[in-house]
Amino acid sequence: MTTHTERAPSLASKTLTTSLIILGLILLAIGGYASLQVLLKGHEAVYAVNREVPWGLLIATYAYFVITSTGLAFIGGLGHAFGFEKYSKMSKRIVVMAFVILLAGFTQIGMEIGHPIRLMMYLIVSPNLNAPIVWMGVFYGIELIILAIELYIIFKPEQKESDHNTAKIVGFFALLVGVLATSNLGYVFGSLNARPFYHGVYFSIFLVISGITAGAALLLAIHNIIYKFNVPENLHSSMKALGKLMGAGIGVMMFLYLWKILSSVYTQPGDSYLAAKALLWGPLRTNFWVGELGLAVILPLMIIVLTKSSNMKALGVAGIIFMIGLFFTRYDFIVAGQFPPMREGLPGSGVHTVNGLAQYAPSATEWMIFALGWGVFLVLYFLAERFLILDTKEH
Amino acid sequence: MSENTKALELSELDKKLASKNRNSKKNFGIVLDASKCIGCKACTVACKMENYVPLGLENYRIWVTEDTQSPRFPTIRRSFQPSQCQHCENTPCASVCPTHATYKTKEGVVLVDYDKCVLCKACMTACPYDARFVDDHLEAVEKCTMCYHRLPERDPACVETCPSKVRVFGDLNDPESEVSKLLAKNSYYRLKPAVNTRPRLFYID
Repeated sequence: MTTHTERAPSLASKTLTTSLIILGLILLAIGGYASLQVLLKGHEAVYAVNREVPWGLLIATYAYFVITSTGLAFIGGLGHAFGFEKYSKMSKRIVVMAFVILLAGFTQIGMEIGHPIRLMMYLIVSPNLNAPIVWMGVFYGIELIILAIELYIIFKPEQKESDHNTAKIVGFFALLVGVLATSNLGYVFGSLNARPFYHGVYFSIFLVISGITAGAALLLAIHNIIYKFNVPENLHSSMKALGKLMGAGIGVMMFLYLWKILSSVYTQPGDSYLAAKALLWGPLRTNFWVGELGLAVILPLMIIVLTKSSNMKALGVAGIIFMIGLFFTRYDFIVAGQFPPMREGLPGSGVHTVNGLAQYAPSATEWMIFALGWGVFLVLYFLAERFLILDTKEH
Repeated sequence: MSENTKALELSELDKKLASKNRNSKKNFGIVLDASKCIGCKACTVACKMENYVPLGLENYRIWVTEDTQSPRFPTIRRSFQPSQCQHCENTPCASVCPTHATYKTKEGVVLVDYDKCVLCKACMTACPYDARFVDDHLEAVEKCTMCYHRLPERDPACVETCPSKVRVFGDLNDPESEVSKLLAKNSYYRLKPAVNTRPRLFYID
């Protein structure tokens, strides 16, 4: 039976967690300053998104954080609800991490949307139930509540057998709503008939798969960081299982990439082709080949395969590399779909294009808001590591 | 009174008119004969003045694209394609709007309620015609309203101001209207038929 409340001394050193909290506070200060700029000067003055590319870095970083959260919730659900013991050994960290990184994601969308409070108000007063964004709000809102309930259950001082059963049910719903939320986020893009690169079911599937992979990668990375690349024996089987899950996830991602890119290239001279062109040999080529494929596919997969998913340090490195690469994955997908302009950049059209593609590069303020997200994650998560017992001793 | 306040007043007026006309049997549309366009861009200026559209490269509701150029004598030719929001029957911008800020009047005119716009910009990504932009003065996404506040007594500003009568505005449900007669007499096309938006702007072939 689960004994979530057993006290086990965390191996994470105080110096390490304190350092990471301080780093988080520095990022929070940077992000706070940027948020002030946004509030005082307005979005249009400080963000680089434009008429042709209205969704930029902050939508990408929102996706980066929240999809990783639902990936973590998926892995947690496997442990809690479906009896995957190897994952349930990490259940406390999974729930805390999923909750905190979801909050980090909310900071990104909160700073991206012009009137976030008005959005919450009208989601209640006059929601458009046909709009995918409404369901995105609903599902991610429910996911946050479910994760909060999970947090309460796992940190309840006196655990009973009934709590374990509740945890199973809540874990199952965290998994289910998480998958719905992420696939619906894919649908926010997939529903756009005007943007052929986005349109369809592809991104709903890709985001779910890459989210689960990201959840595994973040767990591998954080466990190595917490234990200073010396993960204790009792977690080795869990780490190996996560490595295999991550490897399988990357494998499926490769498969999806292959057919998405090939099918897009074959639409020449259509907009999907233009988006693929931007990725393969256009303005996003370095991001795609080095960031997306190099860091989020080839390197971590090679590490996992060559070490047979059994070297803890190597798994940690693979996790860190993947999480860096995943940023490019999210950014490229958001931006590439909007690069093909809706109208040709001819004289008088008002459309600004270079080599037939719209232009966008994030502003300093947008990068600083990304720092805000990381700041929220680092401060809250490592405060939890510092002051709570996150080791789940036995299952 | 600031330009901003005037623009907000127009939006409020549009809302009231849309509510008043909720049982209207009219179906507004615009027929364009681009071959008559001389590229003077008077329509773009009239639109800005009428609707208090702020200055700025990206702040425009209508545009005149220089379509083709043949620089060699004796076949020198320039053609223009004036355009704007297509006021689609099948309205992707309204479908993705989470708060119903984008709405359609009974006559088919697509409008934005600035008070409800949350600036999520989903409508901008959904529009296949790049007809929308963020108005940072209004803090909302805006677009062509067919000058709804002037209808039906006066034509939209772009229609009224055009020296060569490129645009003709009218009721598509009335077989005696000029737009209906033009559509009956000429072959025409609509922009981007593949995306199935069914625009209310018709271009004479």
